[in-house]
Amino acid sequence: MLFRGLLAALVVVAGFFLPRLLGGGGELYSAFVLIAIFAVMAYGLDLIVSDLGEVSLCHTVFFAVGAYTTALMSTGLGSGPIMTFLGASLASLCVAALIGLITLKLREFVFSLVTYALAVVAGTLAQHWSFLGGSDGLRGIPMLALSLGNFTLAAEGDEGIWLVAYVLLLLSLWIIHSFRRSTLGQAAIMVHLNPRLAIMSGIDPARTRLQVFLLSAPVTASAGWLYAYQRAYISADVLDPYFLILMLTAVVLVGKRMLLGPIIGVALILIQERFFSMGAYVDKIILGSVLIAVLVLQPNGLQGLFARYGRQSR
Amino acid sequence: MNFLQQLINGLVLGHAYALLAVGWTVLLGVARLVNFGHGQIYMLCAFTTWFIVSRLGIPYPLAIVAAVAVGAAVGAIMQKIMMGLTLKQDLVRIMIVTLGFGYVLEGAAALFFGSSAQILETPLTAHDFYIKDLWFNGQDFAIIIMAMVFFVALKLIVENTQLGRLVRMVAEDPPLAQLAGINVRRVYIGVFAFEGAAVALAAALVAPRTPILTSMGFEEVIITFVVVVLGGIGSIAGSYVAGLLLGLFSAMFGWLADPSYTMTAAFCVLIAILAIRPGGFAAKRGGN
Amino acid sequence: MTAPVLRVSGLQVNYGGNTALSIESFHVGKGELVGVVGANGAGKSTLVNGVLGWSRGPAQARGDIFLDGENLSKLPTHERVRKGLLLIPESKLVFGNLTVQDNLQAASRGGVATDRRRYSVEEVYGLFPSLDKRKNSLGAQLSGGERQMLGIARALCLGPRVLLLDEPSIGLAPLLISKMLHTIRSLVDEGLSVLLVEQNVRAALQVVDRLVLLERGSIVADGPVDQMRGDPRIIDAYLGKQAK
Repeated sequence: MLFRGLLAALVVVAGFFLPRLLGGGGELYSAFVLIAIFAVMAYGLDLIVSDLGEVSLCHTVFFAVGAYTTALMSTGLGSGPIMTFLGASLASLCVAALIGLITLKLREFVFSLVTYALAVVAGTLAQHWSFLGGSDGLRGIPMLALSLGNFTLAAEGDEGIWLVAYVLLLLSLWIIHSFRRSTLGQAAIMVHLNPRLAIMSGIDPARTRLQVFLLSAPVTASAGWLYAYQRAYISADVLDPYFLILMLTAVVLVGKRMLLGPIIGVALILIQERFFSMGAYVDKIILGSVLIAVLVLQPNGLQGLFARYGRQSR
Repeated sequence: MNFLQQLINGLVLGHAYALLAVGWTVLLGVARLVNFGHGQIYMLCAFTTWFIVSRLGIPYPLAIVAAVAVGAAVGAIMQKIMMGLTLKQDLVRIMIVTLGFGYVLEGAAALFFGSSAQILETPLTAHDFYIKDLWFNGQDFAIIIMAMVFFVALKLIVENTQLGRLVRMVAEDPPLAQLAGINVRRVYIGVFAFEGAAVALAAALVAPRTPILTSMGFEEVIITFVVVVLGGIGSIAGSYVAGLLLGLFSAMFGWLADPSYTMTAAFCVLIAILAIRPGGFAAKRGGN
Repeated sequence: MTAPVLRVSGLQVNYGGNTALSIESFHVGKGELVGVVGANGAGKSTLVNGVLGWSRGPAQARGDIFLDGENLSKLPTHERVRKGLLLIPESKLVFGNLTVQDNLQAASRGGVATDRRRYSVEEVYGLFPSLDKRKNSLGAQLSGGERQMLGIARALCLGPRVLLLDEPSIGLAPLLISKMLHTIRSLVDEGLSVLLVEQNVRAALQVVDRLVLLERGSIVADGPVDQMRGDPRIIDAYLGKQAK
């Protein structure tokens, strides 16, 4: 038991130093930071798709809420990173509560339609509302810096942000892991697998769905929070369908309910984009095709392929 | 711009919306399938029409036919690829797969047609009619007439022909239909091809009204969604009426308030209605 | 005579104009095993589903359901379950993608009230040793008999005030049916209250205290098993089953 704990701690520490071990440099740190941010974004969706078994198409809205709240609070109110983090989480919870209550009684695909339409509406608001900066967006987001008295911890550049990104990623992993072992996590699976039996076991499906939805929102929003600091400016393009397709692909690519699935998925996608890109439009075609291919050919994800090989080689 | 002008504008928009949504409502009501790539097929066919008319110099009516063919082909290919999921009625995966298809179409269209806005000019857009001081455009006439013809033809086919009966049987009970000797796969491909063709027709007719962008597919789905839910899923007459209502609403809202928020307003109205009546307006009867 | 643990009064279930069920008065006593028999379509499943406030499609239901004196008719299904009114459905009665162990753990962690007897996972393994052997198998990998046992085991872990079983013998070999029903009997002898809906009249006659005959949605006979054994209508039903 102790050995496993030490091993885990070692892996965690090694993970932090991974970019340095691979050579460091701005390009690499930037890739690692984005992988971490988008992985955290995907983990929020993972709760809904893998555990609840529903398709939420509005998680890009939570990402945007996190990013915009951070931008507004840091530029308009001069808030520090802790306040903006709380603000982003709270704002996303409010939006999720609103969406959750509206969609409470809707059937599964109507739920998906409504969430999709909500994302489009959010996009319109982001483009046209001057409060959100309109099509220019919000600029001048300060560097992520924590001040305690005379001591200031500042995240300079992607190398500096990497620590925050890594901690955020570990936090998200811990939340997902704890959720899956909790009563709520088990209730979500039961509602997903066999709603009638879940009811006959005393579970309230509507309440379970709402609670999981509310949990998933701040997770994705926190990714938006960090994204705002990383880019130093936020505009309506955080609601681009790219993020939705990225999240969905990352969640289904490796396999359902695998703790490291989304991060591996995001890593694979971003590695292709950054180091093996064939132009923005071809990359779109590749990403979309990967999503289609996984669902049509190997619905259990890549891990299903390895399982098959494992069985054959015995 | 006066009230009557806006009324006309609303009627034109309404017919356009109805035509845009009818493929979806048939797909949903008849095959119980969704297609989130709908907006991108619309975009692709709009661009195809533009390309054929302005780059290849082929006459507009032929371009419409070509666009419809492209739409039908895309729909059929999509369904062929995801047939396994359709037969398993795995709605969650179907939704995500069609989203993926839409994204691929968007990338392919941008690659082939470029990412700048284009304007589709047809021999009809050049004709303006004036009655008193009301302005009609030739293209608008085409939209209204074609939409009406299409709806009437569709209703007749679905209700009165063997084809319509076949499709309704598959919608009702796929395994039972298979036992009755119906080739369910062919029906599904056919329905998806129809959806592609219908949205292609809408694209070819309606695209000339505004500049087109390869990124516009994402937003089109809202209109379709609102029309389908308001009109009642699977109801052909319902989507016609709902389309008209939405068109009039859009015209009035755009005139009296900020046009950029028209879809937002329509969506809010829809949410309000869904809150009161989670089943939409029309009674749930299989197509009428 | 102590108050019944389950009392149904004026229960009516209509499916689009057709009255599927109409029960004036019906009860299950504490520590009693009541059998409900009847032909296919007589309304047996409608009865147990109606008691829980559940229907397969759109239906109108009326009537009062009293559990230990408390009227549950205003509560949604999952709330009634939390009060201890447990139904083991005839199909999809276990979670196929979860192991036996996970199925039972989830049931014992379930937020059902703690003011009554709940079986622990160990106790349940003691009652059903074959489940213990299949601890790590997925629900979908179990045989019909094992699935039925798991369904009952889950209900015991959830803590029933009254247990309703919907045709547990379907698809089971006669030896298994007998074994399962006798297990239920021994649970009843320990104090459990059970309502057993059964197609297999012969098997039910072996273990129940009271037998109820349902015909076209209404109760046509209700009495102690010894008395009912001689009832010509029961014999008809019994012979009818045999004649198949």
